[in-house]
Amino acid sequence: MKGFTHFISGIAVASFFPQAVHMASQEQSFILCLGGIFDILPDTLDFKFARFFHVSEFEVRPDPRKLDAFEIASTVAASMEKAKKDGRSTVQLHTMQLGSNLWQSYVLGFDAKTSEVVVDIGPLVDTGQVPYDGTEPKEKASARVKVSCTFFQEFDKKSNIAIMSGPCFEFIKRDEKRVEIVFLPWHRTWSHSATLGIFTAIVVGAATYFVIPDGPHQALYSLHRWMVYPLIIFFGSMVHIVEDSTGFMGNNLFWPFTADRTRGLGFMSAAEAIPNFFFVWTSVICILFNLDRNRWAPEAFPSGIGSYESFFFWLYVLPCAIMLYFFLKGKHEKAAKKAGSGDVESSNDFDSATSEKETDASII
Amino acid sequence: MLEMLLHPQNLDLVYFCTLGVFFSAFVSLLPALHIYNVLGIFMMFILSYENTMTGMQLVSMSTGMVVGYSILNTVPATYFGPGDESLSYYILPSAHWVAMGRGYESVILTGMGALGGLILLAACAPLFLHILPGLKAITSPHMFWILGAVIAYMLLSEWPKGVSQSRSTWVNFREGWSFLLVGLATFFLSGLLGFIVLSKTMVPIEFAFQSITPVFVGLFAIPWLITNIINAGVIPHQHECESIDLTWELYFRGLFGGYLGGFFAAFIPIVTAGVGGLMAGHATAQRDGRLFVMSYGTCKTVYYVGSFLLFFIPGLSLTRGGLAWIVTPVMTFLTIKEYVLFIGVMLFAAGLSFMMLMPFTRACIRLVRVIDYHWISVVAMGIIIPMTYWFTGWGGIAIMTVATGLGLLPVLFQARRMNLMGVLLLPVAINMAGYGQEVTRFLRLV
Repeated sequence: MKGFTHFISGIAVASFFPQAVHMASQEQSFILCLGGIFDILPDTLDFKFARFFHVSEFEVRPDPRKLDAFEIASTVAASMEKAKKDGRSTVQLHTMQLGSNLWQSYVLGFDAKTSEVVVDIGPLVDTGQVPYDGTEPKEKASARVKVSCTFFQEFDKKSNIAIMSGPCFEFIKRDEKRVEIVFLPWHRTWSHSATLGIFTAIVVGAATYFVIPDGPHQALYSLHRWMVYPLIIFFGSMVHIVEDSTGFMGNNLFWPFTADRTRGLGFMSAAEAIPNFFFVWTSVICILFNLDRNRWAPEAFPSGIGSYESFFFWLYVLPCAIMLYFFLKGKHEKAAKKAGSGDVESSNDFDSATSEKETDASII
Repeated sequence: MLEMLLHPQNLDLVYFCTLGVFFSAFVSLLPALHIYNVLGIFMMFILSYENTMTGMQLVSMSTGMVVGYSILNTVPATYFGPGDESLSYYILPSAHWVAMGRGYESVILTGMGALGGLILLAACAPLFLHILPGLKAITSPHMFWILGAVIAYMLLSEWPKGVSQSRSTWVNFREGWSFLLVGLATFFLSGLLGFIVLSKTMVPIEFAFQSITPVFVGLFAIPWLITNIINAGVIPHQHECESIDLTWELYFRGLFGGYLGGFFAAFIPIVTAGVGGLMAGHATAQRDGRLFVMSYGTCKTVYYVGSFLLFFIPGLSLTRGGLAWIVTPVMTFLTIKEYVLFIGVMLFAAGLSFMMLMPFTRACIRLVRVIDYHWISVVAMGIIIPMTYWFTGWGGIAIMTVATGLGLLPVLFQARRMNLMGVLLLPVAINMAGYGQEVTRFLRLV
């Protein structure tokens, strides 16, 4: 999901705590922001820290002066062979920057039917990934390298490697013959685990227990004030994991007790507009409803929402029905297009060129 | 509405609105000059002559100016440089289109988005009467943390570029974080400048309403003009397309996303179209380049005009944006009639501005063809610095110089220019939360 989707969902979660809403409106506390910050934190940890410290055994550093697709495919194949032998192996593919706004593109694919690593060197592109036609190399531009094992992957799609940083793959031996291809092995592991959420909540809870006293009107609430902080943090980070699980790439929920990421439920792609907006809109409605329901002194200040039934019908049920209509329409059109072209590879847009073009890294 | 607008007693409004649109076209031609600054000076002039214009005539003229400016300023901003943060958010993608010779197409897409946004704003106007009072009641006690959340998201959503390919993980980490740290430094230094300027302005008291002008000129306009002047590139031949490659589905998606962003920016104080557009773009998962450019047009227009529209909603008393503050002294009593008249004038100005967009763009293209845009930037700099001195004195020039240094940070390090909005976001959020006095005392500003 998009970073913004996570962020606003975290705020929505925090708004379910009446004490937090009262703290915000009566004591000028920023506590509701805490939910948003901790909801986006798993991606922050991955893309601002973990990615830099992941070390791959194999690296593909193509030389733009001596482009050779075979060399690239061979390095990836060698990594797969090592995984078959030793159980695991990783490969990092680097981009080729030729100028401040000029990059050499290439495409990596895994052909499961023929057990081949496929590399095609593409045209020069600018940072917006707009290709310069006719700049594709004439020689050594395509290569296929066979590996001695069969393989499968969550996202059966080519990777367009062009701008900024290139992707990383991990190959994991699942049984004697089969190797699994894992995209971005450093992503959605420890940072996207319930374990980290619980640990963070315990640490924060221990600190707030000693530092945060009960506020005024404590009798109104069932929770002590010190408990509200760790609970918002915990539920905020959990919502991130739940939202991510609806996509294709899952999470490593019980790291370090489980070694690998689970598969996602595959309901939607993380980059799709309607699912993202559905979560955003749901969060907005929850926030408005909770701010109104939990307003301070309701007998003195009238509700901003005249009728809750009307509010939910006109502002939630109706927009959701419209979103569902367009979502299903899009799915049907995509399925019809796929059936018409017989193109199996384009069935999943996760790892496509459009994914590479994303400005918001957190959706990956 | 049309009947009311064309009633003989209201025809003067059409005249003043037309004047406003033409005046905005002239103001838009001056690169990096913001309409609010011009309106501020204009108001000072008007208010010094009693009975020069009635309140509604002034509103009509202001509406024409803001609508015209929000639609037409895209043209010089695309070719010469942006005047504020709301424009600079659009400028980088737009510069890319100009580099491909598709600047004209980009401007028309933005104009289509702007026109759609204003039509949607008018269509939603009756709904606003019912929804916005409730929304205001719910959100009023929470504005400070909403601003805090906007700041938190702005800072957290900037991701490292990660271009370094060193074998050392620490080198890669340092390179990735250098962009982020520049972004953070830009935001907090701008915030510090904001605290100083808002607490202890160096601008002469008679021009106090222009005290923020040198800050914005320094943060946004001058760095862009400097970039233009030192830029070795040339503007390629611009193709004047006869049709636009856009489906209705894409149009409505862009319109929807831009409208959300623009409305959010209009409703929440201090949040600009750039910030609102970023959030709405992420919320609606925009990816297509055309979608972005078009949606930006909607966003900035809905922001500029929407914030003014909120002022006219009877009983709401929402003063958002510079223009609403400017007309406050002459519009003390607002009824549904003024609201309807405002909507009518707004739609008239939108149609007129959109019709002017194509010839205006062609004129600008001819201008950059005849005169080197480096020289246009030099001339703009030659206008803007003396103007800043004229209205704000040496104090303003000093503020502008400091702000220019800050404004160059994101340009030099390729970080987000949006972080410069810390100049208002940080002090206002902290003041609204009630910690402003502690901070100003800590900074020894009082």
